[in-house]
Amino acid sequence: MNKNNQSLFNKSAAWKFASAAAAVVLLIMLKELGILSTSTLLIFQYIGIYAIVVLGINMVNGYLGVFSLAHAGFMAVGAYTAAVCTKFFFSVEWMFPVAIVAGGLVAMLLGILVAIPSFKTRGDYLAIITLGFTLIVQSVLQNMEFVGASKGLNNIPRHTNIYWVMGCLLFAIFVVSRFIHSKYGRSLKAIRQDQVASMLVSVDVRLNKSIAFALSAFLIGIAGALIGHLLGYTSPSAYGFTNIVDGLVMVYLGGMGSITGSIFGAAVWQVLVQLLKGLGTWRWVVGGGLLCIIMVFRPKGLFGYIELSDLLKKIQAKMKSGKLKKGGNKDE
Amino acid sequence: MSKPILSLKNVSMHFGGIKAINDISFDVEQGCIFGIIGPNGAGKTTLFNVITGVYIPTAGEILFGEKQLNKLAPHVITGGGIARTFQNIRLFDDQTVLDNLKIAHYSHIQYGLLDAMLTTRRFREEEARLEEESLEILRFLNLEHMANQKAGSLSYGVQRRVEIARALCCKPKVILLDEPAAGMNPAEIDDLNKLIIGIRDHYQLTILVVEHQMRLVMGICERILVVNFGEKLAIGKPDEVKADPAVLEAYLGKAN
Repeated sequence: MNKNNQSLFNKSAAWKFASAAAAVVLLIMLKELGILSTSTLLIFQYIGIYAIVVLGINMVNGYLGVFSLAHAGFMAVGAYTAAVCTKFFFSVEWMFPVAIVAGGLVAMLLGILVAIPSFKTRGDYLAIITLGFTLIVQSVLQNMEFVGASKGLNNIPRHTNIYWVMGCLLFAIFVVSRFIHSKYGRSLKAIRQDQVASMLVSVDVRLNKSIAFALSAFLIGIAGALIGHLLGYTSPSAYGFTNIVDGLVMVYLGGMGSITGSIFGAAVWQVLVQLLKGLGTWRWVVGGGLLCIIMVFRPKGLFGYIELSDLLKKIQAKMKSGKLKKGGNKDE
Repeated sequence: MSKPILSLKNVSMHFGGIKAINDISFDVEQGCIFGIIGPNGAGKTTLFNVITGVYIPTAGEILFGEKQLNKLAPHVITGGGIARTFQNIRLFDDQTVLDNLKIAHYSHIQYGLLDAMLTTRRFREEEARLEEESLEILRFLNLEHMANQKAGSLSYGVQRRVEIARALCCKPKVILLDEPAAGMNPAEIDDLNKLIIGIRDHYQLTILVVEHQMRLVMGICERILVVNFGEKLAIGKPDEVKADPAVLEAYLGKAN
C-alpha cells in the first residue's frame, strides 16, 4: 500500500512540473500567435523574473525559516556580474547563458559567506546582519568607478526575452521542488522547527544552512542577471530598501515555504503594481494596506506551506468523505 | 568485565561558578540498561547534553568505544551512534510521524545534491530504503497506523514513543532516554519497560535512561548511577544503590 503511495507522490511531483511547463508553452504560443501585446509580455517577464527571486527568498525565509534581508544584495551582485560579462567580455547573444550562470555563481559565493553568521545568530540579529550585507553591496557598487559608481551601468545588451525568463523560471521550479523533496529539504524544515533537535537527530545544520543560502543566492543572482538585461541598465539605487521590501511583500503575499505561493505572490504583486500605476504614490498605500490585511488574516501568506496540489487533494478528499467513511483512525 | 562502550572520565561541566557536573566518572557496558537518577537539578540532563555534544565539557574525557567525543559536533556524535530523546518532547510538530523519522536518517543517506536534482536511481533507492526502514521501526513500536498523522496532534504517550522511534532511525549503538516515563501511570510504565527491553534486544542497543519513576528504574536497570548537586553519589546494582546510606540521605534526609 505504501509503495503505491510513494509512486503516487512521485507522479504528482512530476505532474506538477509538467503543468508548469504546459503553462509556459501556452504562454509562448500565445506570444508567437501575436495575441499578447508587448506590454503584456513585459509584465509576464517581470512576473517570471520576480517569481525566481521569490523562490530564492523562500528557500531561506520560508523553508529554512531564517529572516534574511540579503536578497537585494544577491540580486545586485547577479545583475552587475552578468552585465559586466556581456558589456566588457562577450556581447554576442549566444554567450548570454554564460553571463546568467556567472551572475548566479558569484551571488552564490556571497550567499555562502552570508550563511556563516546564520550558524550562531538568529532572529532579529540575523536580519540586521543580512541588511548590513545588502547595504555593503550597495555602497561598494556606488563607489566602484569600474561599474559606473552611482550612475550604474548603461547600454547593457538587451538579451533577456520571454524564452530566457521562462526557461530560467522552469529551471528554478525544478531545482527547488527536487531540493525540497530530498533529505536536504527535509532538514531545512526540521531546522526551522527546532534547530537543537535537528542536530541531535544527526542533521548537519551548518552544511544545510550553507546549501540553502547558496541555492537561494544562486537563484536570486540569476534573476538579477535577467532583470539587468531586460531593462538595459542597472544602478545601485535599484537594490536598496525598495527592493528588499518588494521581495518580502511578494514572499509573504504568496506564502512562506510554497512553490505555488512564490509564483502566485510574484504574479499578484507585479500585476498590482502595473494596475495601480495610475494612482502614483498612492499605490503604496493600497499595496501596503493589502499586505496588512493579508498578514492579519493569513499570517503565513495565501499559500503558506501548502502547494496547489495539496489543496486539490484536500478538495478531492472532502468530496469523497461526503459519501465515504470518516474517523477510521484510532488514537492509542 | 567486558570493554565499556561508553565511559566518562572525570567529566566536569561548569557554567561560570555553577558546577552542573563535577568530576563524574563511570563506565557503561555494552548491552546494559543503565539508569541515572538523582533529585531535580542534580545534573542528569546536563550529563546527556555533555555526552551528545550540546555542551563541551569543561574538563574530563568522554570515550565512545575508542573514540573521544569531547569536541565533536552534536550531529557527528549522533550520526556516529549515540541517539537520544528529550525530557520535554521535541518532535517536529507540524510534520507527519513518518517525516519525523525520515529526518533522523540523515547521517546514513548515501546520496548527494546532484542525485537529488536528477532523481537518479541511487536517490530513488535510498528514499525507498529509508521509508521502508522507518515503517519497520514504526511497526516494531506498534505505531504504524500513525505514520501519516501530524506529530503535534498525537497524545503525550504516543509522542514519547515516536521520539524513541525517531532516535532509532539514527541507527544508534547507544540510546539515551531522558525521562521517558514522565507523566505515565504504573500500567503505562510497565508497557514502557517492556518496550525498552524489547528495543534493547531487537536492535542490540545499550540504553542510558534518566528517570524519576522508580518503577522503571528499579524494574529494568541493571546498573544505576546516582547523582546529586553534580556529583557522583553512588553507582551499582539497584539493590546496592537502594541500601546506600548516602543515597537515602539525599532522597530522604539525614536520620537522627
